Amino acid sequence: MSFLRLLARNRLALAGLIVMVCVVVLALITPLLPLADPNVTNTADRFQRPFTEGAALGTDHLGRDLLSRLLHGTRLSLAVGFAAAVIAATLGAAIGIVAGFYGGRTDNIIMRGVDMLMAFPYILLALAIVAALGPGLLNALIAVAAVNIPFFARNIRGVTVGIVHKEFVDAARLSGMSDLRIIVTEVLPNVIPVIVIAMSTTVGWMILETAGLSFLGLGSQPPVADLGSMLGEARSALITNPHTSVVPGTMILIIVMAINLLGDGVRDALDPRLKSGALNRPMPTTLVDRKGPVPQPKEGGALLSIDGLKTEFHVKDRVYKAVGGVTLSVRPGECLGLIGESGSGKSVTALSVMGLVASPPGVITGGAVHFEGQDLVGAPYAHLRKMRGDRVAYIFQDPLATLHPLYTVGDQLIEAVQSHHATPKSEARAHAIDLLKSVRIPNAEKRIDSYPHEMSGGMRQRVGIAMALANDPDVIIADEPTTALDVTVQAQILSLLDDLRRERGLAIVFITHDFGVVAQLCDRVAVMYAGRIVEEGPTDAILNAPSHPYTSRLMACVPELGGGRRELAAIPGLPPVVDRLPEGCAFADRCHKAQEACRRGEIELVDNGPSRTVRCIAPEPVTEAAQ
Amino acid sequence: MAGYILKRLVSAIPVLLGISIIVFLIMAMIPGDPATAILGSYATPENVEKLNRDLGLDKPLVQRYFIWLGNMLQGDFGRSFSLNRPVIDEVLERFNGTLILAGTSFVICSLLGVAAGVVSAARQYGLADKLITFVVLLGISIPSFFLGMMMILIFAVNLKWFPVSGMWPIYGARDFAALVSHLTLPALALATVATGVIARLSRSAMLEVLRQDFIRTARAKGVRERGVIWRHALRAAMVSIIPVLGIQAGFVLSGAVYIEIVFQWPGVGRMLVDAILTRDILLVQGGVVFVAACYVMFNIAVDVAQSLLDPRIKT
Repeated sequence: MSFLRLLARNRLALAGLIVMVCVVVLALITPLLPLADPNVTNTADRFQRPFTEGAALGTDHLGRDLLSRLLHGTRLSLAVGFAAAVIAATLGAAIGIVAGFYGGRTDNIIMRGVDMLMAFPYILLALAIVAALGPGLLNALIAVAAVNIPFFARNIRGVTVGIVHKEFVDAARLSGMSDLRIIVTEVLPNVIPVIVIAMSTTVGWMILETAGLSFLGLGSQPPVADLGSMLGEARSALITNPHTSVVPGTMILIIVMAINLLGDGVRDALDPRLKSGALNRPMPTTLVDRKGPVPQPKEGGALLSIDGLKTEFHVKDRVYKAVGGVTLSVRPGECLGLIGESGSGKSVTALSVMGLVASPPGVITGGAVHFEGQDLVGAPYAHLRKMRGDRVAYIFQDPLATLHPLYTVGDQLIEAVQSHHATPKSEARAHAIDLLKSVRIPNAEKRIDSYPHEMSGGMRQRVGIAMALANDPDVIIADEPTTALDVTVQAQILSLLDDLRRERGLAIVFITHDFGVVAQLCDRVAVMYAGRIVEEGPTDAILNAPSHPYTSRLMACVPELGGGRRELAAIPGLPPVVDRLPEGCAFADRCHKAQEACRRGEIELVDNGPSRTVRCIAPEPVTEAAQ
Repeated sequence: MAGYILKRLVSAIPVLLGISIIVFLIMAMIPGDPATAILGSYATPENVEKLNRDLGLDKPLVQRYFIWLGNMLQGDFGRSFSLNRPVIDEVLERFNGTLILAGTSFVICSLLGVAAGVVSAARQYGLADKLITFVVLLGISIPSFFLGMMMILIFAVNLKWFPVSGMWPIYGARDFAALVSHLTLPALALATVATGVIARLSRSAMLEVLRQDFIRTARAKGVRERGVIWRHALRAAMVSIIPVLGIQAGFVLSGAVYIEIVFQWPGVGRMLVDAILTRDILLVQGGVVFVAACYVMFNIAVDVAQSLLDPRIKT
């Protein structure tokens, strides 16, 4: 079973499991062991130290054998703790399922009651119940179980509500099954894992709480003792004979810790997010593990040049080659379009430039990124940080997610400025207002104090652009900045970017999957497929006469306004998965011109007319007319 | 903002009523005759009947509830028979001590827990993370009363850094320094479990936030890593940490009972345990309702803090 295997892989959880099994086995066989009677007093031998003859752990204030009392106490504490957990889980789950299954008024009344109970400080409620029922171990058990019922009820209700609206429950209803039968056969099997997780995380608490009540003298009554009351009785002799306290206290610690370790392991094993390692936080820069030499820029005069860049994602033992050797460059004032389908590696290429690919799992494994002739791959964090936003700035897609939701746009703009230039706040604020004006946000003086959620999508995107412009960068990398916007707003943003480029001499790398945008804005365009450039050249030339079959198929997918009822050609098949790239051309499987040679060996990017390159052994001919 | 606070206060009324009903019903569950329980089994039937009449126990349940509630609203929580003084006087006096202890512990566990969680997340899988994770595991597994006893043994008895118990010195000035030295051990012992819980939740909240797009934006802007962690990530993570702080405040407030017993601290918790053992029902009832009501009010304060922190919450 994969669950058990996952649990076993977690060494700490395994340790917890082993300790717990030992403790439980010990508790089970306690009556069979040759131990002294735990309740026989012998005041002549009181307070014997541990490791004395006949009393391995010493004796307590009445001369009773501590080892024997410890094991019997453990037995009692475990029994009470587990019993409380089972009772709380059963009743809580029953209440939760009823509330979730019937919904409406029933749900409302039950959950109000549960909320009331949860409004109590936890232990206080247990104390009130014990106060009513009177001290005693059974009453302590009832109290601890009772105060945990709301927790289970609320959790199970949440899960049940999710299940009740699933198709298989509807199907069961339509087939005329009774409510009870649906609950037992359809709902219960689905909530049991949740009950198990909730129990495994709370049983430790319950053992602790019953021990606590016993410690206060409200649980087990003399002469019978669980671990808590042993500790409670030992308290008066704490200073003179600490061993009588240390022995039961350590036992509680061991049990609760083992259960916690085990509970964490169970939760981790059942939580699918942890399996994929998604709960890793990205580090300040992308990891670099560069094999092979550092390539030099292909041509001079480029402001930013990416040379043979390889970026991979290492997830478990799989390697996803998101970027498989990309070479690109932009000159000052130039706009380069980078186009391709989702997952073709264009964003990863862009993020690799400033080391912003989330890592783990991202790793840059080869190539170089030269900015003004200096390699940035593997540059120290401090150096990269100074460049980020100051020399090379990013504009991201979906500004609702990319702007901080809890700071005003003004604060975020001011921060962008102050991260690179020690500017007084008032000055930075004035600059921020200017920036907002420069991206044509009306009423900038007031808008600066808005939060992102108070703005429209187009306005937020303008804020994103203003932020990129904050430090007058040399290069802007725009990662699909207009994808989430409607067409009119998109056109405004594009013309804004174009104006800024002309005014400020910005170099822009524009990532998109939209040929229309490329045609409007870009001087040159590079087409990406499965992590590689398949064709590059001047925008007009490529749009008029695409020579890679992928480019032409991609362009055929674009509906043309006023183009009549032309059949839109979707490209058959799907892009290859980048952890299992085929040999040869990655597009071969979807290409109508594919031949035997396409699937053999490395296909090079070759010159194909003036300042054009293509990665294809049978490119479409480039006619003079198309130049 | 004033409107929001008012709205939350109004919404607390049904919760407070619910709490009073629950406490009342629990106390009404007492098996047998409460008057006999109070007077003991040697009481004469006349005395039992008289006490029943005095306590209003001869009336129907619903009527008794409303009489009790009405009296409480006028500040009359009844009279503690074991202490022979009004319940409210005793509770207020004792609550003072609990508030000092639990309040200090709450501040400690909030600051320490969040800081540990942030550092742990920022250095995920690093040495600091592993160390914090281990200490946190130990912290949430150790019973606070056992920890308190061990602290007394080590820091008070052996090292003599702090007094063994109590809130004030028996002889000597009752000044701030004396309070701090008496408060240190119990406050730390009480804060330990909550610190662990808060640290764990802060760590996972931070990990969750650090993967968000706006963190990448902050890095792309060139914000220093310290700013990314503490200003960007923590601010966003606080939105999910604050409710946890509210819940932990409840644990600290009620968990104080163990620490008050261990350190002989004069607080509500110790009063309640004594009241339970002497079957002083009115004192238990009054104490529980009072502390629970205070906790409800505290949670409103938490909600208000949350709304101040998150502009997306409509106030």
